[in-house]
Amino acid sequence: MRIRGLSTQLIVLLVTLVLTGVYVLPIYVMVMTSLKTPVEISQRAYLIPTRNLQFQNYAEAFRLIYPSLINSSIISFAVTLLAVFFGGLGGYYLSRSRSPFVRVLFILVGVALYLPYQVILIPLVQLMAKTRLALTYAGLIVSYLILNVPLASVLMGTFFLSIPRELEEAAQVDGANRLQLFFRVVSPISLPAYASTAIIVFTQVWNEFLLALTLSTPATTTIQVKLAEVKGSFVALYNIQMASALIGVLIPLSFFLFLGRYFIRGVLAGALKG
Amino acid sequence: MNRKPRRTFRQRLFTVLESLPFLAPLLIFLAILYGMLAWTLYVSMANWVGTAPNYEFVGLKWYQMMFRLDRFRVDMTNNVKWLSLGVLPTVALALFLAYMLEIGSVKRIEGYVRTLILYPVAMSFVVTGTIWSWMYQPDKGVLNTILRAIGLTELIGRYTTNPATATYWLILIFIWQYLGFAVIILQSSFRTTELQEMVEAAIVDGASKLRILFSVIVPNIRGGILILISLLLISALKVFDIVYVVTFGGPGYSTDVLALFMFIATFQQHLVALGAGLGMIIFLMALVIVIPYTIYAFRKWFE
Repeated sequence: MRIRGLSTQLIVLLVTLVLTGVYVLPIYVMVMTSLKTPVEISQRAYLIPTRNLQFQNYAEAFRLIYPSLINSSIISFAVTLLAVFFGGLGGYYLSRSRSPFVRVLFILVGVALYLPYQVILIPLVQLMAKTRLALTYAGLIVSYLILNVPLASVLMGTFFLSIPRELEEAAQVDGANRLQLFFRVVSPISLPAYASTAIIVFTQVWNEFLLALTLSTPATTTIQVKLAEVKGSFVALYNIQMASALIGVLIPLSFFLFLGRYFIRGVLAGALKG
Repeated sequence: MNRKPRRTFRQRLFTVLESLPFLAPLLIFLAILYGMLAWTLYVSMANWVGTAPNYEFVGLKWYQMMFRLDRFRVDMTNNVKWLSLGVLPTVALALFLAYMLEIGSVKRIEGYVRTLILYPVAMSFVVTGTIWSWMYQPDKGVLNTILRAIGLTELIGRYTTNPATATYWLILIFIWQYLGFAVIILQSSFRTTELQEMVEAAIVDGASKLRILFSVIVPNIRGGILILISLLLISALKVFDIVYVVTFGGPGYSTDVLALFMFIATFQQHLVALGAGLGMIIFLMALVIVIPYTIYAFRKWFE
C-alpha cells in the first residue's frame, strides 16, 4: 500500500526528524559523556564533542565491571543453550500433538510464559539457600530456566507450526521414530528458528535485573546488578557510568545490529507471529 | 504378504514412551513453577516475619494489613497509571507510525526509522534508566541544560524529583523503550494479503487516509492489537528496574509500584508474608492480563 502526496511526505519527513532527535539524543549524549573528563562534563557542553577523547574511561569501566561481564556471559550462555534445547523438544510436542492433554499443557505454559518473577521469588530464595545452589552459577541458571523453558517452547513451537508436515510424514514412512524425526529432519531445517529463540532468551537473561539482584552473591554478580551498583556509587562520575553502561549493552546490541533479522523474527514469534 | 494398514500421521499421536523425552524437561520446570506459586500463596497466609521461615497459618491477616497501608494505595494508583499511560499512548503512537511507514514512506526511510526506534529493545531497563537519570537530572542534567542554553527557561522541569509528576516521567522512559517493539508487531499485522487487497480497494474507492486506518485496517488487525496490548500491559505491570534505578520509589514512596514494594517488604523490611501477599496481588493482575492472550493464542495454535 502506498499513498503518495505532498502532505503525506511532509508528515513522514517531520516525524522522521522528531524521532531522530528523540532516539539519537540519549545515545549521542551517552557516548559523548563517556569520553569526557569529570571537569569537562561539569562545563555542561553536553552536545559538543571533546578534543581529547578519554578512552581510559572505558579501560576503567571495563576493569570495574569485568568480573560481572564474565559471570553474565557464563550464566546467559548456559541458560540459552539449555532453554533452547529443552524448548525445542517441548515446542515440538506442543506443535504436533492435538490431544486433550496437550491443550491443558498449552494453557499452563501460556500462563507461565510472562509470569512476573515476584510470584516465585520467595520460594526460589528459600530453595537456593537450602540447596546451597545460591552460591554458584547453577542457582541462577536453574532459576532462569524456570521461566525461559516455557518461553523457548512457545517460540520454537510457533516456528515448528509453520513447517509443512509432509517432510515428517515421508520420513515416518521410512520408519523413523519421533526422536529421529526431531533431530534428523525437523531440527536441521529449523536452525534459523533456533537462532532467533537463542537471541531472545540470551537478551532476556542478560538484561534481567530482579532475580539477579535477589539471588546473586558477590561471586556471581551479573552485569545488570553491577551497572546499578556503579550508578549508585559513582554518582558524580557520569563518564564512568555511561562507559560501563555502553560496555554492558554491547553484546545484545550487536545481536540486534548484526543479526537483526533473527532478532526481529524472535520478537514477532513472542507475539505469536511465526 | 499381509500388510497392516498404516496409521495416518494424525492417528499416530505420540505414545507415552515417545513423548517423554520431549515433555520431561518442560513438565519439570512447569511443576517447579506452579509448585512455587502455591508455596507463595501459602506464605502469604502464614505469619512469616523476619529472616527465619515461619509457616504458622494466620489466614488473611497480612492481606488485611496490606489493604490498610497507605503505601499500598499509592502503589495501586501508580500501577494503574503505568498500565493505562504506559500502554494506550504507546499503542496509539505505534499505530500512527506503522501506518505512516506503510503508506507514505520510501523503503530506505522505513528501514532507518525501524532501526532507530527499535534499538532500545536490546537494552536493559537498568541501562535506559541510567541514561534517562542523566537526561532528567534537574540541576545539571542534559534536558534542563539544553533548555537553558536555547533560552526556554520556563520549560525547565524537576522531572523525577517532583513527587506529583515523577511517575509520568518514568512512564515516558517505558514508552520510549517499547515504541519500536509495538511498531514492528503492528507492521507485521498489516502485511497479510487480504488486508493489503482491502486497502488497495479502499484507495481505488477514494477513501481518505484516516478512514482507511480506522474503518479498514484497525478492525482487521484486532488480533495483533490484542496481543500487543497484552504484552505491553504485562511489561508495564512487571516494571521494577526503571523505578529501582531511577527513583527507588522516591521521593518518599510517590513513585513506588507493587513490584518494588514486594521486593522492599520481603528483603529489606523482612515482612515476608506481606511480600508474598503483594506477589499474589501482582499474580492476579497478571492473570487477568494473560487470560485473553492465552485464549487467543490457544485458538490460533489449535485451529
